[in-house]
Amino acid sequence: MIKKILFSLVLILLFKQQVFAITTIDITRGNLDPLPIAISPLYMSEGSENIKLDNSVNQKNVGEKISEIVEINLKRSGLFNPLNKSAFVQKPDIAHLKPRFEDWRLIKAQVLVTGKILIKEGKLRVEFRLWDVVAAKEILALAFTTVPNNWRRVAHIISDKIYMRLTGESGYFDTRIIYVSESGPKTQRIKKLAIMDQDGANTKYLTLGNELVLTPRFSPTAQLVTYLSYFRNLPRVYLLDIETGIQEVVGDFPGMTFAPRFSPDGKKIIMSFAQNGNSDIYTMDIETRVVEKLTDHPSIDTSPSYSPDGKYICFNSDRSGLQQIYIMRSDGSKVKRISFGKGLYGTPVWSPRGDLIAFTKVSKGRFYIGVMRTDGTGERLLTENFYQEAPSWAPNGRVLIFYRETKSDSEGKGFTAKLWSIDLTGYNEREISTKTDASDPSWSSLLSGN
Amino acid sequence: MMTKNLILSVLFHSFMIILTALSLPFMKRNPIELPPIVSVEFIQISDKTNIPFAPKARKTLEKIKKEEERVVSEQAPPSSKKKEKPDRIPLPEEKKEKQQIVKKKQNPEEVELQIKQSSEFEKEELFDPNQIAALIDKSKEKVAETTREDKKLTQSSVKNSFASGLTLTQEDALKAQIFGCWSIPLGLPYDENLLVRIKLKLRPDGTIAKAEIKDHARMNMPGNNFYKVLAESALRAVRLCQPLKVPPTGYEKWKEMDMNFDATEMLKG
Amino acid sequence: MSAQLIRNLLLVILATLALSACSTTKKSNNLLQGDVYTGTETIEYLATGVPDRVFFATNKSVLTTAARDTLRKQAAWMRKNKDISVTLEGHADERGTREYNLALGERRANAAKDYLMTYGISGNRINVISYGKERPVNSGSTPLAWSQNRRAVTVKAN
Repeated sequence: MIKKILFSLVLILLFKQQVFAITTIDITRGNLDPLPIAISPLYMSEGSENIKLDNSVNQKNVGEKISEIVEINLKRSGLFNPLNKSAFVQKPDIAHLKPRFEDWRLIKAQVLVTGKILIKEGKLRVEFRLWDVVAAKEILALAFTTVPNNWRRVAHIISDKIYMRLTGESGYFDTRIIYVSESGPKTQRIKKLAIMDQDGANTKYLTLGNELVLTPRFSPTAQLVTYLSYFRNLPRVYLLDIETGIQEVVGDFPGMTFAPRFSPDGKKIIMSFAQNGNSDIYTMDIETRVVEKLTDHPSIDTSPSYSPDGKYICFNSDRSGLQQIYIMRSDGSKVKRISFGKGLYGTPVWSPRGDLIAFTKVSKGRFYIGVMRTDGTGERLLTENFYQEAPSWAPNGRVLIFYRETKSDSEGKGFTAKLWSIDLTGYNEREISTKTDASDPSWSSLLSGN
Repeated sequence: MMTKNLILSVLFHSFMIILTALSLPFMKRNPIELPPIVSVEFIQISDKTNIPFAPKARKTLEKIKKEEERVVSEQAPPSSKKKEKPDRIPLPEEKKEKQQIVKKKQNPEEVELQIKQSSEFEKEELFDPNQIAALIDKSKEKVAETTREDKKLTQSSVKNSFASGLTLTQEDALKAQIFGCWSIPLGLPYDENLLVRIKLKLRPDGTIAKAEIKDHARMNMPGNNFYKVLAESALRAVRLCQPLKVPPTGYEKWKEMDMNFDATEMLKG
Repeated sequence: MSAQLIRNLLLVILATLALSACSTTKKSNNLLQGDVYTGTETIEYLATGVPDRVFFATNKSVLTTAARDTLRKQAAWMRKNKDISVTLEGHADERGTREYNLALGERRANAAKDYLMTYGISGNRINVISYGKERPVNSGSTPLAWSQNRRAVTVKAN
């Protein structure tokens, strides 16, 4: 009985749907070109004070400079196509009040950025609006006040907000990169810790180059850096507070400590400790200095990296005979190999989203940067080269930064080491220009939060 | 050990040589095959200007830090300040929808959760208080609907074949037109199934009288950023395409039309 | 037919010779066994007849016959000079990831240290340090250069 009723109900429903069915069209294709965006220069409000920010930047052009940085950021992301400003018809100040959307549509802009700047009482106030040109409406408006010297950061924060509004994902522009600056001949390379903005500006050196330094990594808050230093010819893991400049050794064991990284809560450092030809993985609590041994195997266990929830660790081991990627629980239990492709696998790094592990692969004498799921499936190689390694994730998990070295002759000629970035999609590979040769990049979290 | 290896090597090499020699007549002209040349990458070192050298890194960094704090504290405009902003132009649909909202009874806890999330969301964007209220209402309504609607989506394409008011050729022409207008948001995750349904009301000349997202409330729910981005891109696509290439006759058949936007395939490929 | 075969045979031998001339530089002829360096070019001497370094195969830390021979000479020299202590520096070539190479260098240096100890040298007299790929002796990006860089070097520490 009930069945019958149900059946007739279903029939009625089906019938009804047919009667009222209207034309439905499935759109499954579109163009994959970067989104055309018009970035109108930020205009200077009347009554702004005179100020000199930089050799070439003052109150007259700081608005233009900010919009330029936003433009470069968005363009470099590969997702946006900032339009040529010479085609802009409307004046920046009028556009900021109420854009004539028809004009902007004419030059094929789909979104528009406008803004204004006010410098008063020594403060820089920046206001910007994001407009959907086609829907003819404002979709975002924000204002920031800061010290004028911070104008670059304001540009990066604006870029992040636009990126977030238009992609649905947090950005990565208001970030820094710590890396190793390199100079000198290959056999006696001088290496210094250096830090810069994500776009290569504001380079600062944190060490003098008297001793070899390697593999710096940011803490989750980007306040601390852990790295390997050969100070007094003792390769040890160090901790550097970039606020205070204070350095201290954290891995002072009777042997070499190396390959450090922070735990996601920032409380521990995980690293390798090598003694008598055997490298194992340890953690050290920064506060209590309690040391815990996680792996105990006669093979080389190194390059550990935590999952973002802190529950798992991926690492590099040659216990199978060759370098492969393994994962284990954060207490060292349940070790499981996850890389099974042809070749060697190294430098696993867990993505901030938690779903992927980036790695370096060496196969037939070529080096690849790739990603795989945390169970080892879905391996995708993003880029191939003569030598490249050490990927580090952008905080939103969409972009990887790594370093690449070139071939050299016996005099070391032709050798360069440079930072490169690539999208998770394998597209948008770009060199990140640094003042010197560079290696071992580590990407900070977003400095301004979300 | 050594001699054994040597003998093996000699044997193997002569075998290879004879083998090659035997096969030579087939490639008379050029017997010497050079190994493939591995190209050397030349990386251009671009000069970076405007980065002042800072020997006193520590000091500078301290300064940066302080400024950073200031930015953090002074940026993020408080929501009260934002609400006062008068210059937001609301979508015409948004206004109407506010009136259409029918309050549905919900689990009170769920409602509270939604309210909290919505007010968090408000920090990100400008909304006037009325709109926020509307949003909260919509969110409530949404909770029940989201899952159901998703299931319905799959039926549309099946239904399409016999119930469409357009011939296949007409439909293809229209599709092709929209393809050209739609800038797929490249940042969308390729591994997440996202689909946006748009309800169109057309005028006889193919211009759009009304275009609305069927699942509009979802756009402003927390955690639906990607959906929102996709929905907005779809709306832009149909508006950019006006007037749509509709058949000259049979207005009644196509004056209302649904469009399902799905970028998954494109983003995967 | 057989005349042609002989002609072809000669051709192939010639071609092979030409090929091998291409793939290695003049110097490297006979300097690699497997891929372990067997030449003397980069070697320095701790004392007459006591070479300071041993070489390894790619990704390996196993001591070759030649390496063991060198280390026995070093052990004899250290037994004679009881006040000398040394640092064993382990190195890797540039064809591996940095962190793994640090571990590999450490393993190589310890392989050499262990061998010295089996010949009666106290572990207290041997300090070990790994430089991974950081301090190549040959800057080149050739198999020969890499073979010279895969090494454990004994350095007088006092």
